[in-house]
Amino acid sequence: MAMQNEAVLATVEGISRSFGGTQAVKDISFTLGEGRCTALLGPNGAGKTTTIRMLTGLLVPTAGHIRFRGLKPGADQRAYIGYLPQIPAFHGWMTGAEFLRYAAGLCGIPKREAASRSAELLERVGIGGAGKRRIGGYSGGMKQRLGLAQALIHKPQLLILDEPVSALDPIGRREVMELLGELKRETTILFSTHVLHDAEELCDDVVIMRSGRVAVSGALNDIREGNREPVLLLGVEDTREAREKLGEWLTGLSDACVVAVEHSPGSSSARLYVRNLDEARRYVLRQLNERRLPVTKLEIGYTTLEDLFMKAVGQA
Amino acid sequence: MSRWLVLFGKEWMEMTRSYKLLWVPLVFILFGAMQPVTTYFLPDILANAGNLPEGAVISIPLPTAEEVMAKTLEQFGTIGLLVIALSVMGAISAERTSGVTAIVLVKPISHLAYVSAKWAAMLALILIAFAGGFCAAWYYTAALFQGVAWQSSLIAYLLFALWLGFVGSLTLLFSALLRSGAAAAACALGIAAVLAVTASVFPKALAASPGMLPKAASAQFMDAASASHPWLAAAAALLVMAAVLAIAAWAVRRRPTLEA
Amino acid sequence: MELTTSQMMTILLPIALIQLALTITALIVCARAEETRGPKWMWVLIILLVNIFGAVLFFIFGRKQA
Repeated sequence: MAMQNEAVLATVEGISRSFGGTQAVKDISFTLGEGRCTALLGPNGAGKTTTIRMLTGLLVPTAGHIRFRGLKPGADQRAYIGYLPQIPAFHGWMTGAEFLRYAAGLCGIPKREAASRSAELLERVGIGGAGKRRIGGYSGGMKQRLGLAQALIHKPQLLILDEPVSALDPIGRREVMELLGELKRETTILFSTHVLHDAEELCDDVVIMRSGRVAVSGALNDIREGNREPVLLLGVEDTREAREKLGEWLTGLSDACVVAVEHSPGSSSARLYVRNLDEARRYVLRQLNERRLPVTKLEIGYTTLEDLFMKAVGQA
Repeated sequence: MSRWLVLFGKEWMEMTRSYKLLWVPLVFILFGAMQPVTTYFLPDILANAGNLPEGAVISIPLPTAEEVMAKTLEQFGTIGLLVIALSVMGAISAERTSGVTAIVLVKPISHLAYVSAKWAAMLALILIAFAGGFCAAWYYTAALFQGVAWQSSLIAYLLFALWLGFVGSLTLLFSALLRSGAAAAACALGIAAVLAVTASVFPKALAASPGMLPKAASAQFMDAASASHPWLAAAAALLVMAAVLAIAAWAVRRRPTLEA
Repeated sequence: MELTTSQMMTILLPIALIQLALTITALIVCARAEETRGPKWMWVLIILLVNIFGAVLFFIFGRKQA
């Protein structure tokens, strides 16, 4: 992996967590490289939140360890972490600025500095005007921003964000993504999301989870390169005859250069995963011609990260 | 220490903003004042009720000042405890349910500091409210009946305040252990009732039970004061309170948030 | 011990004032609250009609903490 020659900030070693009888997280391991931005990616219910809560210390793993650089295993890591829960909750009777000063005080920041940092962060997350208003009257988006501000109050070494943008409207989402882009240059970030696009936009590394396990993990570029497979997209006319012909051909298809075929019966299109693109192209074109298949589309390209993501988290 | 003060400051601010620091003392003062006043005017009230047969003479012996004070403590032992338990019941469970603990307990603070700041704020509220109520009772008893010696009154105040603080601590404990605030109040009040009843049934065997405290406080106004040694019960109550803090801190550490 | 009317007043007036303070505080808090648990007018009636306990009930059960 690309991050091996960089400093590792945190190492997750085979942690598991079960609730009652069900195992939410099963023996997962990954590392967080210092200064890198890692996305914890996966569909809902994959165990992302449980993993994050174990990293914050809110949940204790039933097995395994989490090591932070410079800390003994099991030592209190909270001073190094800033955490934004998925649905952040505050004291509704406090104002935004009061809550930030309170959070600063809990981190041992002296009063004067607490006040200046609070004001600064309120501006930075874009709710400077609402600092003197009660949090009880904040919208969901404002709470998300306040949550981000409180996570940053003590300049943490590791910023952990649980679905930071999924509850926001498109504009809010854009703004928070841009803010995260800035923060990425200042600190190490781990954030969970179920949207691949968000991960691709921000991250250096990804950990893709599926039903409590790590499906794929590593540097985004490596994964993208390593999983690039040539693929042929084929479409025929949408008539019964053409569809039947296509189906016939595909079931009888056997050639060394075609690795796999993705085709649902009765459909007018198919994906062919191939080994040698040139060879496969010649073979397919010849076959199409021989069988007089009414082709409407033949696209030759490579699998995307999205294909990999869908494959990794798919039910198959 | 500075972080503990931040936690305590937040509790204090919350009690001010929610008017708890105003209404709980006002309620205590009202009940403290009304007990001597209604006792004093009881014959008049009955006479004016008007549904008495012709020529009936009401003779209710006017109680002594000491009896009135003891009776007032009894009031605080029921309504006062209820008010305290109900106003403390959500201290931890409500914060856990709302999800704010997911933010607060991820900050580098000790769980014991989190619990003990709440406990100290609760104790301050109890001491202030009960002081108001007790002084009101003392003043009205002196005005309408007779003055009561301040030495025995002070001891009674301290013993009874300890009892209130003891039950408040229990409420805090159950607030840390249980999901529901109402259940926490019910558990704490239930245990308080059991302790008080068992202590009055077996005063010898349970001399060291915190349940002796309300009885011992009332006894300060009676001549039998010297007969009972409330110090054992007081020490036991303090010990239990310390244990309660430790257990509550452990419970908060073990389950800082509700799981989905 | 017989009391004159003025003595009676000095005894009862403070109690009445404290009770008034409690009721008024409860009414103000109720009026200023963005939301109460149950309709506001119901709480106003309870505070006004139920002696002492009306205000206590409102403070404990009536307010919604965000």
